[in-house]
Amino acid sequence: MLVAAGLVKRYGTTAALDGFNLDVGAGEIVGLIGHNGAGKTTFVEIVTGLVRPDSGLVRIGGVNALRDQRAARRMIGVAPQEQALYLSATARDNLRLFGALAGLRRSALTGAVDRVAAELQLTGVLGQRVGLLSGGQRRRTQAATALIGDPPLLLLDEPTAGADPETRGALLAAVRARAQAGAAVVYTTHYLPELADLGATLAVARAGRVIARGAQRSLISGLPGELRVRFDDAGRKAPPSTLPPALADRARNVDGELRIASTNPPADLAALLAAGCAPISVDVRQPDLDDLYRALAKEAAHAA
Amino acid sequence: MLHEAAHRTGALIRHNTLLMLREPGPLASRMILPLAFLILLHPLYEQAQGAGRGVAQAVLATLVTFSMLAMSIVGSSILTERIWHTWERVRATATHPVELLAGKALPVIVALLAQQAAVILLGVAALGLTVKSLPLLAVALLCWTLALTGMGAALALLVQSLSAMGACYDIGAMILSSLGGALVPLAAMPAWIRHAAPASPGYWAVFALQAALSGDAGRTMTASAVLLGFTLGACLVAAARATRGRARSAQL
Repeated sequence: MLVAAGLVKRYGTTAALDGFNLDVGAGEIVGLIGHNGAGKTTFVEIVTGLVRPDSGLVRIGGVNALRDQRAARRMIGVAPQEQALYLSATARDNLRLFGALAGLRRSALTGAVDRVAAELQLTGVLGQRVGLLSGGQRRRTQAATALIGDPPLLLLDEPTAGADPETRGALLAAVRARAQAGAAVVYTTHYLPELADLGATLAVARAGRVIARGAQRSLISGLPGELRVRFDDAGRKAPPSTLPPALADRARNVDGELRIASTNPPADLAALLAAGCAPISVDVRQPDLDDLYRALAKEAAHAA
Repeated sequence: MLHEAAHRTGALIRHNTLLMLREPGPLASRMILPLAFLILLHPLYEQAQGAGRGVAQAVLATLVTFSMLAMSIVGSSILTERIWHTWERVRATATHPVELLAGKALPVIVALLAQQAAVILLGVAALGLTVKSLPLLAVALLCWTLALTGMGAALALLVQSLSAMGACYDIGAMILSSLGGALVPLAAMPAWIRHAAPASPGYWAVFALQAALSGDAGRTMTASAVLLGFTLGACLVAAARATRGRARSAQL
């Protein structure tokens, strides 16, 4: 559905995109993740035609999006990172406008507004001015303007940033439903558990390129998490002599808590107990986005 | 394709009309103020220039000056879209920039024409203003309104804030209408102003409207054509800013 190849975009001496490649198939949800400045928003702006790349290719549904922008945009629903709603108009007015711009008319438009409002729990506030809605309601209204018209390609740029759990749940359910109906979804976020909820594959962006692509489980599975333990003399170091050498090499003390980098926390905990250590609390931290970024950055630095 | 474009433009016209009516304050003030100005000040013009010419000057002064001030209606509606980030949001749809600007412009054109019609009607009904050719007057008013809309749109896509926009419109409107001989007849102005006046669209508005009121088709059409030239120039600037992304909200 979406093919982006070799995208380059420079602003002066800064390369916002430097050979960005990303393919997204129909029915696929891709979680596009990366630190601020990695190129995620520039990529979305290029796909929506707001910015022209210096070089590269974008195809949407087989259409060359750089040559035929309007035909390409007919297939896109976008919820940008910043709020982009008419504050003095009602939620219904906003949805009617974007539904009309998506080609819907008359009863089809009215029906689509009611359906997407029900899906995102906005039915009760459709008649209220957007400026008077809560942050979560505005987030859902913004997402609704992207979903209305059921576009085959959805670009959702941090749609749940600052959202409450109710909003997050409604948005994720709506995105899942669209993907199940065949839409291709590019979903940017800093929050990995959302992508796990969506069953999304990951595309990790760094310095204007996608440096890793694949299922979340496979990208993160090889990374170490942490086994965190506290001992009965909390506040003092655990006696190093009681730790097996293999664990001591990977351990560090942080505010009285022993943290052991671990790819197999149960085994490491068993080794700790077997060595006679008596922790009063045990916690396991799974590898997260920061661990993935650090690992990929280290790989990139070694490759360079 | 054409009927899709018409559908989108229609949706934008309806939406922008709705936005204007939801916040009617600016429109209401720009409708009421010129009528009050005309009622209060027409005796001064009549005393200075005689009954007939004085009434015509008073009506033209009011119409040109306050319609320039009303340019801010189109300006603020475009700048508000940039502040709300809805400008890019709508650009990310299949909407062409021309459809976007047309959707903004038409409700404003109707509002500006209504303002000017109200001033003319008051002049005719209450002050005895003579209109020798209504069709010529309609042409002149339409061309002036198009020029105002184009200039308002171009400025809104150039400025970086509402306060900058306000300053440009308020100061610019007074300068252009004064240079044009609207508030004070050009004959009473210093020579350098008389030389500079044709550079002002206000000058050509006064020219076109005076000619239309007196029924002079040739002069009305000449001046109206110049106003359309101003319109074209302003629209090219607006379109260039809109299509090349330089009017993006990120630039504010």
